[in-house]
Amino acid sequence: MVQGLGVGLVSVVSRDPQEPNRIHTMIEWAKEGVEQILLIVLGSYAEIDLVDLVRFHYQGQHPVTKVFDQEGPLGVSLMHRGCVLTDQGPADHDGYQPSSRYDFLGYAVRLSSTVSYRRLVKDALEGHCGIHPTGTQVRESVWIEPSARVDPSVQIDAPCYIGAASNIKAGVTIRGCSSVERNCEIDLGTILDHASVLPNTYLAPGLYVRESVVDGTKLEHLGRGVSLDLGTAGLSARIGRRANPLCRSMRVADVRRTGAPGR
Amino acid sequence: MKSTPVTVKRLPDASDQASQKRFLRDIKEFVSRSTRPRLVLDLSGVEQIRPESVDLLLECVDHAERGDGEVFVAGPSARTTVILELTQVASVVRMVSSVREATAEHQPDDFESGTQSCSLHAA
Repeated sequence: MVQGLGVGLVSVVSRDPQEPNRIHTMIEWAKEGVEQILLIVLGSYAEIDLVDLVRFHYQGQHPVTKVFDQEGPLGVSLMHRGCVLTDQGPADHDGYQPSSRYDFLGYAVRLSSTVSYRRLVKDALEGHCGIHPTGTQVRESVWIEPSARVDPSVQIDAPCYIGAASNIKAGVTIRGCSSVERNCEIDLGTILDHASVLPNTYLAPGLYVRESVVDGTKLEHLGRGVSLDLGTAGLSARIGRRANPLCRSMRVADVRRTGAPGR
Repeated sequence: MKSTPVTVKRLPDASDQASQKRFLRDIKEFVSRSTRPRLVLDLSGVEQIRPESVDLLLECVDHAERGDGEVFVAGPSARTTVILELTQVASVVRMVSSVREATAEHQPDDFESGTQSCSLHAA
């Protein structure tokens, strides 16, 4: 998106204030003749019309333009080289550099939590934002990367995304705007319900993963605000014993067949 | 023979196999002499249920089911609730917030002698 503006230089700079080259890099750019610096602090997803932002900045009277939405600053600023070349540098410009305020009314999500991440995934799958899932759209609102393996018995309720090189085994159910990122394995009979599985994650057989984001062995249950390590909970075959979770789910199934007392 | 007898128990230490065997033996005996027994497992105070205890809980469900009974899990922490949901054990037990809730409609006479019937008042 930034390169679409014709910007020739895109650089990623450490957010760490202790990082000595953080400011220095921008000063070097300014000294080399870069006139305007677009600073995007990673941490939010916002569908800002950058062309409109640049136009607004040029029309403004101030060397800095900051982007805000209804919740506050979005961490996107456009600044003239002059303010970078001041003694204090741009890191401290908040207090003394006069700035213009660009009010953004479009789609934005701050990625400060897994709840926000799930919201972004859901919005993307439901077409409520500009993110379009990659992969092949095998049917309406179901995207599967060509290198993913999905057993024919897998039940998928749209919308859903399955990433590259992921392996979805027999009997798995995926529903409720769930997503499986690249290189994951969802083992036999596991159910994903309003869940996102981040890259390189293995999920043991027979699990019911609901309202959660799973990253490796870390599961965060969004509804209950609880984080779990699946390894220590004995639910990750990569770390613990592979047979146990399957055995457990089979036993639950046995109990169900004879008539569950609970439900 | 009592009608709808209740026993309230805490799960034994997951690392103590002897306690686990004794616990299961007690459960079997309770179920074998009861009609439609209600087994209340008090998990209050358990921060996170261990895998061995999940297996033990399933054993309890299995035994209770043979006697046409039911298992209540009382006072689980949020972490334990998530684990029981993840393992789908939550679908074969009744999850309640406290022992009191699980035993609300029972009279003191329903409680198996020697079990933690005092939990009825302590919960």
